[in-house]
Parts: sequence; C-alpha cells; structure tokens
Amino acid sequence: MTPDLDLVPFVPELVLVAAAIVGLLYEALARGPRYPVHLAVALAGIVVASGATLALWRYGGDPTVLAGAIATDRLAVLARLTVLGAAFCGLLLGTHAIERDPAAARGEFFPLLLFATTGMTLIVAAADLIVVFLALEVLSLSLYVLTGLPGRRAASEASLKYFLLGAFSSAFFLYGVAMVYGATGTTRIPEIANALVGRTGEQGLALLAAALLLIGLGFKVSAAPFHMWTPDVYQGAPTSVTAFMSAATKVAAFAALIRVFDVGLQALRWDWTPLVAALAAVSVVLGSVLAIAQADVKRMLAYSSVAHAGFILTGLTASNADGIGASLFYLIAYSAMTIGSFAVVGVTTTRGEDRTDLDAYRGLYRRDPHLAAAMALFLVSLAGVPPTAGFIAKVGVFGAAIGAGYVWLALLGVLASVAAAYVYLRVIVLMFMVEPEEALVSDPAPLPRIAIAIGAAIVLVLGLFPGLVTDLVRSAAVLRW
Amino acid sequence: MLSEYLPIAILAALALLFAVGSLVASGLLRPHRPTPVKLSAYECGNDPVRLPRGERFSIRFYVVAMLFIIFDIETIFLFPWAVAARELALFGLIEIAVFIALVFVAYVYVWKKGGLDWAGGSLTPIEAEAASEAPGPREEVGIRAG
Amino acid sequence: MSADQLVFWIFAPIAVAGAIGMLLSRNAVHAALFLVVNLFCIAVMYLLLEAPFLFAVQIIVYAGAIMVLFLFVIMLLGVDRGDDLREPLIGQRPLAVILAAAFVVEIAVAVRAGIGFATMAPEGFDAVNRDGNARALARVLFREYFLPFEVTSLLLIVAAVAAMVLAHRRARAVTQAELERLGLLEPPREEAPSP
Repeated sequence: MTPDLDLVPFVPELVLVAAAIVGLLYEALARGPRYPVHLAVALAGIVVASGATLALWRYGGDPTVLAGAIATDRLAVLARLTVLGAAFCGLLLGTHAIERDPAAARGEFFPLLLFATTGMTLIVAAADLIVVFLALEVLSLSLYVLTGLPGRRAASEASLKYFLLGAFSSAFFLYGVAMVYGATGTTRIPEIANALVGRTGEQGLALLAAALLLIGLGFKVSAAPFHMWTPDVYQGAPTSVTAFMSAATKVAAFAALIRVFDVGLQALRWDWTPLVAALAAVSVVLGSVLAIAQADVKRMLAYSSVAHAGFILTGLTASNADGIGASLFYLIAYSAMTIGSFAVVGVTTTRGEDRTDLDAYRGLYRRDPHLAAAMALFLVSLAGVPPTAGFIAKVGVFGAAIGAGYVWLALLGVLASVAAAYVYLRVIVLMFMVEPEEALVSDPAPLPRIAIAIGAAIVLVLGLFPGLVTDLVRSAAVLRW
Repeated sequence: MLSEYLPIAILAALALLFAVGSLVASGLLRPHRPTPVKLSAYECGNDPVRLPRGERFSIRFYVVAMLFIIFDIETIFLFPWAVAARELALFGLIEIAVFIALVFVAYVYVWKKGGLDWAGGSLTPIEAEAASEAPGPREEVGIRAG
Repeated sequence: MSADQLVFWIFAPIAVAGAIGMLLSRNAVHAALFLVVNLFCIAVMYLLLEAPFLFAVQIIVYAGAIMVLFLFVIMLLGVDRGDDLREPLIGQRPLAVILAAAFVVEIAVAVRAGIGFATMAPEGFDAVNRDGNARALARVLFREYFLPFEVTSLLLIVAAVAAMVLAHRRARAVTQAELERLGLLEPPREEAPSP
C-alpha cells in the first residue's frame, strides 16, 4: 500500500532543495572565499530546476501526483518559471549587494533564497491545502530571515514586523484550512471542489473558510487592507531581497489563490467574487493614493505593489480562463517591472541602501542615461502606458472584469491608474528634466545591469509582441483536475 | 483504555510520595541544632555577591531553547512512525530516514556555526575584521554590555 | 462514576485553577509555571479522549520545549521590570469586555451545537482507530500525507538557520574581551548593595 511515486512533476523542487542543502553545508563546512561557489551552486540549481519545469509543459500523466499533493497542470509550470526567473534576478542582485557591502554579507543568503524559491514553486503546484500551508510557511520563514539578514536596525525591525504580521496571517489561513476540512472532510483541492459541487444544504462553514483563506492569501499578496507590512518591509529589507520578494511572493501567492479559489472553491464563486472585487477596489485606490504621498522610492514602489495586487485581483473577479489568463499575464509583466525598478534603485548610487529618497534621482539622465532610460521604461510600464507590458496587462484584467460584469471595478481601476501615473511621471520628470544637485555616482557593477536588462527586455517584448505569450498563458489558464 | 496508563500513574504517585516523604521523614527524624556553619551555603558554592534582581539572561539561552524546540519536533514525528513501523514497512523506513537526514543537515549547520558551543564558534573573517578595527560604529558591531 | 469520569473530575478543576492562577499571578515566572500545570492537565484530557499522540505532543513540545522558551524570554526581558499599565489604545478596555462577552456566548453556542454533532460520530471512526489512534495517525501521515511530512523537515531546516542567523550572531559577535578591546564596555552598573 505504497502511494504512487511519480516524482517527475516534483523534480524542480527536488533540485532546488538539493542545491539549497549543498549551499548550506558548504556555508557550514567551507573555509576561505565562498561567494563564487555559493553563486555557482545556486545558479546551477535554478537553471536545472527551470529546465525540469520546462520539460513538464508536455507532461501527460495524472492531473495530481504524489498521493494527490502536487498538481501537474500548466499553471504550475508557468508560475514556477516566473518564480524561478525572479529568483535568478534576485540572485544576481544579492551577489552584487554582497560584493558591495561585505560587512553585512552572509553566506546564508544563497541557501535561504533557494529555500524561499522552493516554497514558492511548491505552493504554485500544491494540490493539497496542507502542502499549500507548509509551502507558505517555508517561503515566509525564509523571507523573514532574508529581510533581517544584514542585521542592521532597519532590516531587523522590518523582519520582526514581517514575522509578527505574517504569523498572524498564517494563522488565518490555517484556520481556513481547518474550516474547509470541517465542511468537506478533505484537504485535497480537487476533492474539495467535488465535495462542494451540487451541495444544496449547509454552506456556512465553507463560506467562512473562503473568507479566512482569502485573508491569509490577501496578506501574502499585500492586498489592502492587509497591506500594512508592505511599505515597512520593502523599505527595511535589502533592496535585492525586496526585488525578489515583491515579484516572486506575489506570483506564488496569486497562483495558490487561483488554485484554491478557482479549483477548490469554484462552486462558491458567486459568493467569493464580490469579496475579491471589494479587496481589489480597496487595494487599487489605497495603493495609488498612498503612493503619491511617498518621498522614498522603495515605499513608493511598495504602495504601487499594493495597487498592482488590486489590479491582479480585478482580473480574478472573472472566475474563468479569461480572468486567470489575464492575471497570469499581469503577474509575469509585473514581475519584470518590479524587479527591474528595484534593481535600478539598488544601483542608483554607489552607496545604495542609504539613498532611496527621491532626491537621489534628480538628473539621473545626466549621470547615467542607460539607467535613467531603463527606470523610465519600468515606471511607464507600471503606470500602464502603451507600448509596454503594463498596458497590455491592464487591458487584459479590465477586459476580464468587464466580461464578468464588474464594470464599476474596471472604471475604478482606470481612474486609479490615471491618478497613479502622477507618481511615476514625477520620478521621470526628476530624472530627465532636473539638473543633478549633488555629485552622486551610480554603481557601474555588471550583475545588476544584467537583471535590469532582462527586466527591460521582457517589459518591451511583452508590450510590443504580447502574442508571443498569450497562447502560453491561455493554455496555462485552463486548470486540469 | 485508561487502565493502560495505570502503571504510569502509580509511578508518578510513588515518585511524589518518595520526594515528599523523604523531606517529611528527615524533618521528623533529624535533631534540630543549627549553627552558622550548618546554615551556610552548601555544595555549589559561595554566598551570592548580589541577587539576580533586574539581571537579564543571555540571549544564548534563547537560541538554545529554540534549537531544542526544532529537534524536539523532529523527535515527535518519530513517535507515530515507531508505533506503526512494521506496518509501514520499507516505505516508512525510507521516509523517516529521509526526514532524519534532512534535519541532520540542520544539525550539521548549527554545530559547525557554533550554535552548540556556549562560548560561541570562531569568528567569521568579516566579524573578526569588524572586531579588530578601532572603535567602529557602535550599532553595527553588536550589542553593548548591560 | 467510571474511571474516565473520575480522572476528568480530578484534572479539570486543576486545569481551571492553573489557568486562573496564571491570570492572577503578578510574577511572570509564576504565571508561566501555572501555565505548565494547565498544559499538563489538558494533556490528560487528550488521553481521556483516546488521543495519545496529542498527549505526547502536549507534554513534550508544549509543556516541555515551548514553556522553556517562554521562561527564557521572561528571564531575557528581566523578571521584575515594572509593567507599564497605561493603555496606548483608547477604548481598549470596554472593547475587550464586549468582545469577551461575545466570545463566551459564541463558545456556549458552539458547545451546545457540538453536543448535537457529537451524537453522530464520523463514519468508520472506530474501524480506523482499531489498534490505537497513534497507529491510525501514522497510517495517514506516512502514506497519504507523506509529502507534507517531508516538507516539514525543510521547515525545520529553515527554522534552524533562522535561529542561528537572527539570534546567534548577535550573541556571538561580541564577547566580553572584544568589548574591552574596543573600549565599548561600560563600567559595571552601580547597584544598591544586596541586603
């Protein structure tokens, strides 16, 4: 009576865990210069895991494997690839941060990043709520530590805040899992769907579960009003970690949200879509308005991340392949924009972490035209102006919301986008039309520039030729169970 | 059902009886003739120089307690496995072996990083450098005494 | 009165007394010790409900490890620091009273409803538990849920790294000798001579 052991759909996680453990043992046992080896091990892990994930695109086996714990659909593949791409860029940025500031460097950065990535790839493929919860904890715990890794006061404070609020939200999620189990007698997401379909009687427990699960995941995607931690943590964490977590956590938590709600709780969609719409509306408005008031770039991008969580939720109000596809496209585009813009923040001055206020961007164009151009591209894309990925993504989610009957939400989204454009344009004006006041030098290191180039390329390509990925996204949006 | 635990209950009762009984018996049997020498601190030591009021424990205790919890939870998982080990056969054995091997990685890491040494492990090169420099920025070097 | 009921009526009052003692004791260490008493009695309740695994977890993890951690935290912060009794949030106290009352009502309703549920025990419960709850649990944990079980080990690794990275380094980074060498050592605090 051994469970089926088809490990193929689980190979990406196995590879990542193996690389993380090698890194951890190396950190514990090795002497002498370590960072090149660490980087090589982590890069190898991420590249091999990406290859293994790509091979799963054509996987033809059961919809779930390993005793129903892991889903094998294309949503898992696409979301994993996005997470791995974010991890790759995060690795480059983190290595650069270590080179620049050896006093705050810790070799644990590499294994922890890999553990966080493992948690994220696991959560997007998890077909069992227990696995979702464990993956959520693995990724959260790793991120708490990554946030506090430099051991400086701001980082430690951010880490503690993140931990306290994160633990609180995990409790909500776990409570939701317990309620689902109470309502359906199972934790397997496909079985939950089957148990809820055609049920006419008591749904109270399942509805309570939906609300609790939405709170738990809403915290992780930093949707308002569960966004309180976001600005503090994004500001206090090392910029490389912020870049990684702003993109990858969002992708991971949204993929989990899609699987839990659009598969498991599909039968209750008339009850939970209004909740999602409410969260989306609050996030879009609060995120956009509060971003205007920020004088610090990292805080500004944090509030913008809240607004973008709202836009993605807007797409998810359509509980069908259109909505899921639009949200997936948005996630890919947003990952590229946010990693790119945080990478620029990291190299705007050679002193890095000390200068994240808007003044550091005065006359950036004169100092470093390439950097200013890249930042402008990311900001324009964040604002949703054509011909960038951000525009296509926004059109997609608004279209999905209108298709689902949420015209007011789409209108609200458009209005908020216009208001938020001010935020991004303000920075662009500072960069291009103001003379530099102080003699700041931007960091010429190559590694972050690679990450910036990757982000810029994705933003442009997705903006100009969205057709390249729409087919992929569409086939990933068809959930199989 | 509960009768299975009767031996444990009896053992606990006996232990309590022995502890209390010893104290009571010695109190009743011994002659009571105190002298300053007899009342002075015994075995481990000297009279305390100061009482531990307002003193704080070192955070090291906390780290030890945290590591204890981690390996405690590992132990807890061994219990159901041990109860059903025969039934779970080879698959169960492999499972628990993988689990223990993974947690063992954590153990090696903690050991090598000096988490189990009371005095702490060797300084990393960066920390050693930071410590040997002339009075640096205080916050970055670490906590201050007291 | 059956043996089960006898055990219940011995341990339930002790559990309640432990909880009340914890709330009322001024000294944080005493409160923690009262909590240990309470946790032990609850563990016995698990035993009564034929959940020996939970009993073991309660004793080994909660009454053992977690309480040790609690005590260390209390000692870390200093036992006899005066508590700040001012309330930073306005209206906290009436709100707490209202919510506590609501909670009591909720529990009462839940217990009332629970009595209704309890008459219909889950199907096949006794069959699954035929040779003990721990074995039944092992069958589920090590077969259907073997992947979550292995993922738990990752969580433990990350937790160990977290403990070492966030807490150990600070303790490690500076020793007494290094502080003296750096000239950061403050002169010993002047304390009132101990009585």
